[in-house]
Parts: sequence; structure tokens; C-alpha cells
Amino acid sequence: MAGHAGLHLWGIDHRLAPTEVRERAHIAPERVGELLAALSREPGFVSAVPVSTCNRTEIYVEALPGFAPFDSMTRSLAGAGLDPSLFTGEHAVRLTDGEAVHRLYRVSAGLESMMLGEPQISGQLKDAYRLAKEHHELGPVLMRAFQGAFRAGKRVRTETKIGEGAVSVAFAAVELARKFFADLPRHRALLVGAGETGALAARHFLQQGIGGLIVVNRSPERARALADDLNGGKGELVRARPWEDLPAALADVDVVLSTTGSLEPVILPEMVRAAMRRRRGRPLYVLDIAVPRDVHPDVARVDETYVFGLDDLDEIVQANLAARRKQLPGAERIIEEELAEFRAWIGEMDLRPSVAEFRAYLEDLKEKQVGYVRRRQSDEVAAAVDASLQQFIKKVLGRSMESLKSAESEQERLQHLATLHRLFAPQTPPTSQEPREPREPHDHP
Amino acid sequence: MRLALTVGEVLLPLLYLLLFVAYLWVFYENRRFAHGWARRLLATTVVAHLAASVIHALVHRHLPMASPLEFLSLLALSLLLIYVVVERRLRVRETGFLVTGVAFLLQFVASAFSVAEPAANPLLEDPGYAGHAVLVLLAYTALSLSFLYAVLYLVLARQLARKTFGLLFRRLPPLEVLERMSVGAAKLGVPLLFGALALGHLWLYDLADKLDPETARSLTPFDPKILASWLIFLVYLVGLAGHRWWGWRGRRMNMLAILTYLAVVLAMGAIHHFIPSFHNFSLRGGV
Repeated sequence: MAGHAGLHLWGIDHRLAPTEVRERAHIAPERVGELLAALSREPGFVSAVPVSTCNRTEIYVEALPGFAPFDSMTRSLAGAGLDPSLFTGEHAVRLTDGEAVHRLYRVSAGLESMMLGEPQISGQLKDAYRLAKEHHELGPVLMRAFQGAFRAGKRVRTETKIGEGAVSVAFAAVELARKFFADLPRHRALLVGAGETGALAARHFLQQGIGGLIVVNRSPERARALADDLNGGKGELVRARPWEDLPAALADVDVVLSTTGSLEPVILPEMVRAAMRRRRGRPLYVLDIAVPRDVHPDVARVDETYVFGLDDLDEIVQANLAARRKQLPGAERIIEEELAEFRAWIGEMDLRPSVAEFRAYLEDLKEKQVGYVRRRQSDEVAAAVDASLQQFIKKVLGRSMESLKSAESEQERLQHLATLHRLFAPQTPPTSQEPREPREPHDHP
Repeated sequence: MRLALTVGEVLLPLLYLLLFVAYLWVFYENRRFAHGWARRLLATTVVAHLAASVIHALVHRHLPMASPLEFLSLLALSLLLIYVVVERRLRVRETGFLVTGVAFLLQFVASAFSVAEPAANPLLEDPGYAGHAVLVLLAYTALSLSFLYAVLYLVLARQLARKTFGLLFRRLPPLEVLERMSVGAAKLGVPLLFGALALGHLWLYDLADKLDPETARSLTPFDPKILASWLIFLVYLVGLAGHRWWGWRGRRMNMLAILTYLAVVLAMGAIHHFIPSFHNFSLRGGV
């Protein structure tokens, strides 16, 4: 890497750290500036991108060899008001160079997410990258690594089916509703019960664009309060109706979410049969997420009534997760391809200074030759020689780059680089200078 | 022109095969580029087959219905034509593999066993008859598609009722869309059937003037097939009115579509085989 820049990753995630640890390690956007300012005072520091979501906090740092990862990071974290021990203890993960980049690519593709393949992480990574760029200039390696990670994430999501199918119970409830109704905005839902679970489910259906919601609850005050809360002061999308209206409401909606704490079923077959007569065959999707069940078992036998419970939603989630896991080999292959590109870029980065020296040497020789011809012949002949030598340099440089890239081992490549440097570096006459020590091979990707 | 026809006979089944594969790809993979390929191939196949039919009509100077094999090829084209309209209206391609699969089989048989120049009934050269026959073909193809989507509706409804969350659950469009596709196909079939019947009646009187009196007497508007077709038209019309104005929806509506279609097939089959009619589509020379 340029000037031996390396990558360091310090982080914690949902696999290693419990929620309370993740909460304490969270880096709020307003703290990112403080952390970057603290890091910038450390010797060797180039740039950093802190990524903090509810499931992970990871700090990607690009630094030169003078950077002492442990001391610099702990000092900077403490300087930013964070507890460094969270990032050094049993819950933490610390990776460098190739492993860090591999981890970043996997995170971007959703392979490290709690819900395999979830898409939100991609946006969160982009936000973190943008925020870091607002605070300071990113180093070339970190910039390239993140751009590669975004590309890998996009490819994994478009070239595999890792993002298909709901993998949470709430999304499975909506996915199931979409098997009945093409456009949720054209349909209304009924929420039976105004408890916390019901409110969550209702909120999710509203977020997914359900066309209206009726809340019925034994306590009308709670129904009204929940309706007001869900409306959020905007419009009348959610309305409360008295408990006695429950049978009539069943005829007016297409989705029923039942979540009461009743010990006896509250949605009975005769109630549903009466509603179905008014519905003229329109299907009714009933989701019973109450324990014990709110919907009488015989309701499922009523024509055009489809009753589902938590177990059914869980079955859908498990099937979707299994289908996503089958996509892992394809996703890993894409990540490997993108990593190979990153490695090639890093490899060329090492070559650039030596090749530039070689080019400068050849350009200098060319200028001398062209000057000589101009003095002895004419400008026209000199221009022709210049063009010819330019072609010659291009070919020689191209061939040299190919040879350097195709070196069979890192050791061989470093030897070639050292030879180039020894022969053509400026202010170092090739005949009198001791060969420089080849650079230490490092474990960049 | 004849060379173009020969090339068409080879290329059409290949195009239909590619189309079927593209729609299978859409069903299993549901990728954007699969949808793009299916859409483009559908347009290409329809245009190519239409061009081949026009060339055929110009070369042979009759509708390409002179043999059962030619009829199968025209049936494949009419399936695609009706399907194009349904797909464009609802923008749903997941069920296309079924339609294109059937169309491929029809076209494959038509091309594989085709004969050079089948003897054509002179009726096929009559534009009135040609228009009537094409409208009948399109109308019954549309009603067949309506039947297919009604069957798919019941399959998915059964999977949902039994809580079987398999491939069909994942890949078929929602019940509401399947119902719209079934109703949409019937909405195409009903006016086409009306047009076919109306044109048939007009053509009947036109034809009667050209025939000797004895043969002309056998051409009656009370022919069993004509009466059955009007009855079918009325039943479908009531079904569509029920859907439009009386809110008929769901499993019963789709069951009605299936039963009506089966009744159509059985009635037409029975009339064709057991009741004398001047209407035997003239492949063996009816009138």
C-alpha cells in the first residue's frame, strides 16, 4: 500500500456483544467528529470511518506504520468519551488489512447482519462513509475499500436472491397479506385490541401503506388513544370504533389483526359468517397473534376466511431464512471477486512509485536524445524521433508492469521492484549505489 | 416468399422455445433482466408469427387454417396475442411460463408435422369467413386463459388455506391479481365472441345469396353451435356484470369461471359429435 498504509478494524457486533454492550459502544453521529479529531492527533493516522448501527459499532482506520493501534485507539476512544474497554474486551473484534476489508465487504452485503441479507446496512454504511468524509479527507485505501464494499453489496443483492422473502415476523405478516392483495393502499385493516403488540403490528402495516385502520378495544378510551397516537396528528387514517362494532367492522376490512389479552376467543364463526355474507366472497385475511388465541378455530372453516397465527409466520420466516442461506456460496464468490480486484489495486499501488522512477529515467534519456537530434538535424526529424521514442517507452513500461504483476511470489515481486529502484531511482547512480533492502512483505489483501 | 415461409417454420418453434425458457426463468428467478428478456422475446415472437401468417395468407391466398396443424399454429399465435394484452394490463409475468409452454407445444407440433400445401376449403378464401373464424379463435382463447387463471387462483387459495408455503406460494402473484387476470381475459373474450357471432350472422346471409337454394336452406341462425355460443356469451356477460356491479369475488367467482368454461367445452364437444350442424369449421368441408 502507498507508504505502507494499512487498515485496522476495531468493533463489536450482535454476535459477540449483548444489547447493553452495543448500546454503550454506540457512536452517535454528533460524536463522530470528536473521535476523528482525537484520532487525527495520533502519529501515523490517515483517516477513519466509524460505523454505528443498533447491531454493530465498527471503526475502520487507515494508518501508516507509525500508528500504534492499541495505544492510539484506546486514547482516541477515551478522548471521544467512549469506553475503550468495550473495544478491547471479550466482546470485541480487532482485524487488520485483508481480514478487515473482507469483513467490511461482508458487512456491506448483509452477510454479517442479524437478519441475513437485510438491505438497511448498505444505507447505514453509506451514511457513515459520507459523515466521515464531511469531517476529514479519506485516505486512498479506505476510500477504495468502501467503494469496493458498496459495489460488492450491490452485486450480492442483485446477482443473488439473498434479500428475498421476509425474515422477521412483522414483515412475514405483510408478505402474507400481499399474497392476497396486490395493493395494500386499496385495503383496510382492523386491529382488535389496543395493547403494545397490536400497536406494533398496526404501525408496521401503516408503514407498509395499508389504506386505513380501524381499532376496536373493550376500553374505548384506549382505542381512541391508540388511534390518535397512530395518526400522529396527521389525518384520519386510523379510526377507533366501539367494541360492539366488531362484527360489523369485519365486513368493512380485508385484514384483521387480533391481539387482545382475552382468555376466550373474541372472533367467533357466526360473527365471521355474517360478515362474509356481506362481503360477497371477498377474502378475509385474519392474523391471530394473541396468546391464548383470539380467533375461534372454526373460523378457519368459514368460506373465504384465511386464519394465520404466529407459528405460521415463523414458518414463513424460517423458510425464507433457509432460502437466503442457500445463496451464501454465490454471495461469497462475488465478495471474493471484488476482494481480488481490491488486492490487484493494492498490488499496483506498490508498483507505482518504482515504475514512475523508471518512466522518469526513460523520459530523461529520451529528452537528451531528442535534443541531440534537434541540434544535429532538424526540428522535423527531432519530432519524429520523439514520437518514436515515446512509443518505445510506452511499450517498455507496459511490458515491465506486466512482468511485475505476474511475479510468482511476493518475494519475487519485491526483488523486481528493488532492482528497478536500484537501476533507475533519481540521485542514485545505478553503478555506485548499494541495493536497497526490499520492503518487508505485509499481509495486505 | 416461399423461402420466408420455410424459414419461418424452422424459426417459429425455436422462438417459442426461447420464449418459454425466458418465462420459466422469470418464474424461478424473478430478476429484472429476466423480465426484460421475456418482454422482448414475447414482442419478437408475436411480430414474427404475425408476419409469417400474413406471408402465408398472401402466398396461399387463404387463412392459415387449411389443416389441423395450421389451426394449431394459429391457436398458438392467438394465445400469445391475448396473453400480451393481459400481461400489459397487469404487468405480471410470473404465470407466463404456462401460456408460453402451451403455445410452444402447439407450435412445435404444427411445425414438426406440417405438410407442404394442404388442400384448402374455398371458404377460407372468403374474407367474411376469415374474420369470423379469427374472432371465434381469439374469443375462445381468451376464455381459455380466463379458465387457466381461475384454476391458478384456486391452487393458490388452497395453498394458503392449507398453509403450504412452497414454491407456488412464493412465486405466484396475489389472489387479487390472479382474479383480475381471469376477469381481464374474460373481458376480452366476451366482446370478441359477440363480434364473432355478429360477423357470422352477417356473413351467413351474404353466403346464402351465393349458394343454391337447397344448400342455402341448411344455413340457419338456429344452428345448435350458434345457439350454444349465444348462451355462452350471455353466461359470461352475467358473470362479468356480477363482478362489476354485484361485487362477486373470490373462490366462488373463480369456481364459476371454471365451471362455465368446462360446460362450454363439454357442450361444444357434444354438439360437434352428436348433433347435426352446418358448423363444423369446414376443415372437412362443412357447407
